[in-house]
Amino acid sequence: MKAIVRLSLLASLIASTSLMAADKVTFQLDWLPGGDKAPVYVGIQQGFFAAEDLEVKIASGRGSTDALTKMATGQADIGTADIGALMAAKAIDNLPVVAVFPYFTKTPHTFITLKSSGITSIKDLKGKKVATSPFTSSNAFLPLVLKQNDLSEKDINLIKANPGALGPMMVSGNVDAVIAWVTNTAAFENQAKNTGKEIIEIPWSASGLSFYSSSLVASERFLKARPDVAKRFIKAFAKSVQFAYNNKEKAGANVHKMVPEVDADTAAIQLNDAYDLVYNEVTTKDGFGNFTTERILKTWKYVAEANGLSEDALDPTTAVNTSLTE
Amino acid sequence: MNQTFPLKSWVKQQANRFAPALFFIGLVLLWELVCQVGKVPNYILPSPSAIITAFFNVEFSRWMTHLWATLRVALMGFVLSIMIAIPLSIGMIRSELMNRVLYPALIVIQSTPVVAVAPLIIVLLGTEDPSRVLITCLITFFPLVVSTTTGMLETPPEMIELSQSLRAPRYRETWQIRIPYAIPHIFSGLRVSITLAIIGAVVAEFVAAEEGLGYFIQFSTSFFKIPQAFAGLIFLSVISLLLFKSVQWTQAWFFPWSLPKKK
Repeated sequence: MKAIVRLSLLASLIASTSLMAADKVTFQLDWLPGGDKAPVYVGIQQGFFAAEDLEVKIASGRGSTDALTKMATGQADIGTADIGALMAAKAIDNLPVVAVFPYFTKTPHTFITLKSSGITSIKDLKGKKVATSPFTSSNAFLPLVLKQNDLSEKDINLIKANPGALGPMMVSGNVDAVIAWVTNTAAFENQAKNTGKEIIEIPWSASGLSFYSSSLVASERFLKARPDVAKRFIKAFAKSVQFAYNNKEKAGANVHKMVPEVDADTAAIQLNDAYDLVYNEVTTKDGFGNFTTERILKTWKYVAEANGLSEDALDPTTAVNTSLTE
Repeated sequence: MNQTFPLKSWVKQQANRFAPALFFIGLVLLWELVCQVGKVPNYILPSPSAIITAFFNVEFSRWMTHLWATLRVALMGFVLSIMIAIPLSIGMIRSELMNRVLYPALIVIQSTPVVAVAPLIIVLLGTEDPSRVLITCLITFFPLVVSTTTGMLETPPEMIELSQSLRAPRYRETWQIRIPYAIPHIFSGLRVSITLAIIGAVVAEFVAAEEGLGYFIQFSTSFFKIPQAFAGLIFLSVISLLLFKSVQWTQAWFFPWSLPKKK
């Protein structure tokens, strides 16, 4: 009898523990941890995910395509990736992943040059040597931004090099400008400062190339199997984004706590650099965390052109699921 | 006069003994001098002093975490490659059919760039250790198969004939004649494989990892911390060297007879 009571107590304990266990979610970053990836770390450290009964595990990625593949193959549930890469993948291969929340509502691509170079606009790049890294998504949009400024790729001398070599190449005068993301401006600034030089940034969004970029994306399987978990995750993520950009130092410290290799100060500076990508005229007009059909169509138009795809290859609204934020 | 000759000889002996270390120290000093005098910026070539500073700026526990992650994968991949390569070689020696079937496949595997296949392996096996161990194994096992097979084929034919005339079973022929003859070759293969194992682990970490020295180097580069990346690289080389030496020590301890006789 005693044994039966003990066993039933144990069984009820196990049952209650499993009922109490938080929902596990694997979050896929599209690159290595850093300041602009802070929200998910903030969500864990500040308890926003725990408040939604979620246990989040973060996996670093090696680019949007890598992140999307991992979500499509079930290795991760939700994560960040460039919506352009998602649309292209959906058009080519009908990837079972959709965007659920906009993060960067503007493009992060930029030219960075030394102040002493005399280059102040994209038009000034004619005949200049420009370096870019081989696998950046910026390369696909380069012809478009040049076209908008009455230039073509033939008008510039484009060199491809390892991302880590771009700054040194620019500072040492081997190239006139580099292509980067605005989230990395501080790093280039530091390198230039070390040699007593200053840099200037020429963001592509300022010349009209402005559309959705990094977004929260999720596998369709995850959304179908656990819609409630996805809803709670998005809610906590939105809170985390707001907290991170309003408390940059704290957010930097949160990233550093989970990834000691990331300096808290550097992460805070990167958040500052990314601020305009998250909070800008688009979020003011459309509201924070809202995709609009008009901007989705605009994004696809540019993505299709950049990737040499027909505009009919995809109904871009199918790449987005807004039902979870409504 | 008689006193000077032993002194000269002693100096010559010591110089000879410490020549590699002196050469290495001289090289590092020259490197430091070039960086200091030429005012070479850290992002082009960090000086040894900047690398040492960067090394000590990283907490010891972090180094150990990254070291363990890389070492764990490298050693697991290495052991797995031994477990695959040696039985495979034995099989290929004993069966002509197996040799004809497997050899082309092995060459195909070896000529496929693992760097290109690594992302696919990660997709298939996930982002945890198994995929990284497989990537490491794919890089390390081929030299072992080749060296083991070559070693076993070099067994003197008269020894094989003798064992056959005494009606020794095949397993005794393999384990008591062919394998001992192959030991020097197997250890040559092991020395190559152990350094490749570190390369394999780093390649895997470049594709998917949350820790490890390869991940650390990639991370440092992405944050433009070049001296820190160099520190990771040098640490990695030291580990690789130690592993290489440990294979040599293993051979010296367990199979001293297999080493070439010193002059």
